[in-house]
Amino acid sequence: MKPRGNLLTALLFLFSILILTTDEAQVRELKVEKIDKKKLEDILKNRNQKLLFLNLWATWCVPCREEFPDIIKLVNDYKNKPIDFYGISIDYPDEVNSKVIPFLKKQKANFTSFVNGFDKDEDLINMLDKNWNGALPSTFIFDKSGKKVSLLEGKQTYKIFKNELDRLLK
Amino acid sequence: MKRNTFISLLFLIFSLINTKADEPIKVTNFTLKDYNGKEHSLTDYKNSKAIVIIFIATQCPVSNAYNERMEKLYQDYKDKNVAFIGINSNKQESIEEIAEHAKKHNLNFTILKDTGNKIADMFNASVTPEVFVLNKDFNIMYHGRIDDSRRGDNIQHQDLRKALDEILSNKNVSVKETKAFGCTIKRVEQ
Repeated sequence: MKPRGNLLTALLFLFSILILTTDEAQVRELKVEKIDKKKLEDILKNRNQKLLFLNLWATWCVPCREEFPDIIKLVNDYKNKPIDFYGISIDYPDEVNSKVIPFLKKQKANFTSFVNGFDKDEDLINMLDKNWNGALPSTFIFDKSGKKVSLLEGKQTYKIFKNELDRLLK
Repeated sequence: MKRNTFISLLFLIFSLINTKADEPIKVTNFTLKDYNGKEHSLTDYKNSKAIVIIFIATQCPVSNAYNERMEKLYQDYKDKNVAFIGINSNKQESIEEIAEHAKKHNLNFTILKDTGNKIADMFNASVTPEVFVLNKDFNIMYHGRIDDSRRGDNIQHQDLRKALDEILSNKNVSVKETKAFGCTIKRVEQ
């Protein structure tokens, strides 16, 4: 190989390393903490005069992934309104770095994300709604006092989310 | 068929209204075709000690994570007079796809196609996988998950197995209702 070729190969190699390192660093800087019963109780209790929009999803859930862009758009459009947007991923905590964060990065997720840290899935399901069967995606909306006022089960659209939030903000 | 489903729904609603909290819900007869085109009715299994109905999917990763475990359950209980029926109610999963999926994953139990998700509506099933265990009188004795580990790596509670063992031993089912995360059943537009 010619010296020029060697130099080009070396530069390409260094460039690839730089890109990989930058991507990894970006993935690392997005935090997805585990949420347990106490943390969820605190979130519901301390509403600070804000509604809570809580989306339950998983990377393995196709309709969850399909509705995600609508939620991203919703967060952008309602950022000046008294609403907290949170998501809880039902992936396993040991899949956060390999699945959850890369997905959130790709989607340019703009809201607080957690991963299910409840010992039993059933405890999280029943804490959110005793009549809910755990079908994903599902979105719960809580009012300013932390009382559940809406359960939207299955994939929703931007329009449905918007209508619901506008109704509750009146 | 439409009229039958409507009557079934009315009967189920009537049953629910008239069911005391501690009484099991009775399921009315229904008929669906398997992926070979053969019709199956609930009454075909009236001599079974228990009928396991599992709403399953071809594309849901959670349902697919249970393929081997479902087949194992079927093999373990088929000679104990327990009927095993899978029902696919997802609108986008065709009969051909169901047949291919069953072959690929070596699923040997009966799998029925619930076109128009009428039977999922009748059971009020919402996720895959979701289990209903009926006794010989078609009363729902257990409803919920197969076990408590989606990945199958840390199973603490074999809920379906336990319910079947209790029914086969003529005992009351101790845990009648469980929940688990799963894929939403994709229904036809209302």
